[in-house]
Amino acid sequence: MRLRDLSARLREPRPYLRDLRSRLRELWGISRFRLTTMYGALFALGIVALLALIYWQTAGYMVRQLDDTIRADAQTSLTQAPEQVDDWIAGAMARDVGHVKYYGLFAPDGRRVIGNILSAPSVLKIGAPPRQFALDPSQPPDIRALAVKLQDGSTLILGRNTSQLRQIRSIILHALFWSGAVIVVAGLGLGAALSAQPLRRVQAIGDASARIREGDFHARLPISPQKDELDALAAIVNAMLDEVQRLVSEVKSASDSLAHDLRTPLTRLRAQLHRIDQQPDLPDVHRDMLEEAIEETDILLTRFRALLRISEIESRERRSGFGLVDLGEIAGQIREMYGPVAASRDIALDMQISPTPVVDADKELLFEAISNLVDNAIKFTPDGGKVKMRAVPTPQGPRLEVTDTGPGVPAEERSAVLQRFYRGSREGSTPGSGLGLSIVAAIMRLHGFELQLQEADPGLRISVNCWPNWAEA
Amino acid sequence: MAGSPRALRNAEVTVTRILAIEDDETTAREIVAELASHGFEVDSATDGREGLVKAVSGDYDAITLDRMLPGLDGLAVVTVMRNTGIETPVLMISALSDVDERVRGLRAGGDDYLTKPFAPAEMVARLEVLLRRRRAPVAEAILRTADLELDAMRRTVRRGGRELKLSPTEFRLLEFLMRNSDQILTRTMIFEAIWGYHFDPGTNLIDVHMGQLRRKVDTPDAPALIQTVRGSGYRLRAPA
Repeated sequence: MRLRDLSARLREPRPYLRDLRSRLRELWGISRFRLTTMYGALFALGIVALLALIYWQTAGYMVRQLDDTIRADAQTSLTQAPEQVDDWIAGAMARDVGHVKYYGLFAPDGRRVIGNILSAPSVLKIGAPPRQFALDPSQPPDIRALAVKLQDGSTLILGRNTSQLRQIRSIILHALFWSGAVIVVAGLGLGAALSAQPLRRVQAIGDASARIREGDFHARLPISPQKDELDALAAIVNAMLDEVQRLVSEVKSASDSLAHDLRTPLTRLRAQLHRIDQQPDLPDVHRDMLEEAIEETDILLTRFRALLRISEIESRERRSGFGLVDLGEIAGQIREMYGPVAASRDIALDMQISPTPVVDADKELLFEAISNLVDNAIKFTPDGGKVKMRAVPTPQGPRLEVTDTGPGVPAEERSAVLQRFYRGSREGSTPGSGLGLSIVAAIMRLHGFELQLQEADPGLRISVNCWPNWAEA
Repeated sequence: MAGSPRALRNAEVTVTRILAIEDDETTAREIVAELASHGFEVDSATDGREGLVKAVSGDYDAITLDRMLPGLDGLAVVTVMRNTGIETPVLMISALSDVDERVRGLRAGGDDYLTKPFAPAEMVARLEVLLRRRRAPVAEAILRTADLELDAMRRTVRRGGRELKLSPTEFRLLEFLMRNSDQILTRTMIFEAIWGYHFDPGTNLIDVHMGQLRRKVDTPDAPALIQTVRGSGYRLRAPA
């Protein structure tokens, strides 16, 4: 498998809507399919050549045989006495039960004396080798004949039916057609069948890679019992992933414990600064500096809290706080909570909440996630813009969408914005921990809900499929 | 705060006594110092057994209780207290911030829950709310601060006789401020009280809501009642 194909496949969002053409192109990309098809084509060519050779040889041999027979016939006719030739012809025709012989005896004035050839065909020249002609222009030229001049000046035409040749040709053509069709169909079928397995494996590898790319470092590439070159490659990648996972978890636990350890002294620092701030006799210039310091400390604390919040959510027991949650109720609270925030910046908060079935979720966490999404959307929407929240029922369950009219997120940054501390190009000087979406992602992982980022042109649409999909999570 | 009307009133009537049950020495010292600086009389215990004995025998107005203690842990202490009929308000303090832990602490009989590490000001603010609730166990139907009047039953608000039109959220916010008037309420406390959730709401959610309420309550022609306490939160207070 070529790596470029693989990476192109990985970049594609979902393989559902692939048309037949690209499906074939994809099949073609598989070496086994390519080999089988090429082998089939070569085989078909070989058969065609073989049959053509057989036909050519057989037809040639038969024609030579016929010509010899006709010449022998002509020799015999020349040995007859001229006045007995018509008797000889009549006798030969009478003995010809298979109606394969043709004769025509024409007097020197062109009048037909005897025979089943009614008029002398112009193609036949006296003394020329046997030629093919049709008795009647509406029929195929199935007669091979030659003309001889008898001693009395009359012309004798002797011929044989060659429709056998045509029949053999048609038999061989039929054989060619059917065997060709069988070879092509069987070759393609066999190729596809043989490629199905590698294709499935590539698909499985693609799915596993997609999970890894989305941050699930526990996922590994599947290894088949065949131990072929694909497996060898997968094993190498897996070993690499083990190392990456080890490093990531080391970094994560280091950053978690750092955040944890720093929180206490930071809180004390914050308290101390606050206490100084409470002193009534503080000069104004110092108070301003002090308050800046307090603000910075608060930002640090917010970030550490968010970081620890993520690891707290990640280490949570699945389903411990789960229950049935009504998205409509959550949406109502969100509107009440964020309506004034949006209004204060002249942003329209548009809610389109269709009645949807209840969702199996942790209400507090789901609310936290949705409020983070709306908070983010408002944050990145310029004043006077619009934030839209939609809940729509789908066959699998409710789907929730939050769309803003902000600068959006470039496609290549979309999975990165879900990672911790990633502050994309759109963030600029926007306040925040840069962890809002990471918290949302952690909550969705806990639920097994799929989180998608799409271009809303302009802006960003984040949607949540509110049904568990563990394979994708 | 030492000169605040609240502290003066406390001094006139009786001293407010707090029991701090905390095994970590530094944290215990911090709690004691902070409470003492706000005019409370503080007693402390360093393990669950000692804390429980003091809580049962002594006469305290409120207790701060560490969730994790050597010997008898915080959950057990509060459970035993409640089972023996001690209704002293308890502020649980814990390094475990998970919602499940909070629920467990409150279910066992804790009145509020604070996660370590905490800002001492936040702890005092929460204790004040608990003490206030203890002093007025029956929620008054009509609340008054200066010329502001809120009727919790009829859900009306008047300032100087003029009726104010508040949204349900603004009403809840104002009611919370008025029930705890003169006290500093942190943004976290306000968020938890108004919406009942326990996470970082981000941006300036509380400030926006407070600004909206303020525009309706504090008109330019009347003295301002809602104060922003820098570095802490908000307070509703009648002008001196």
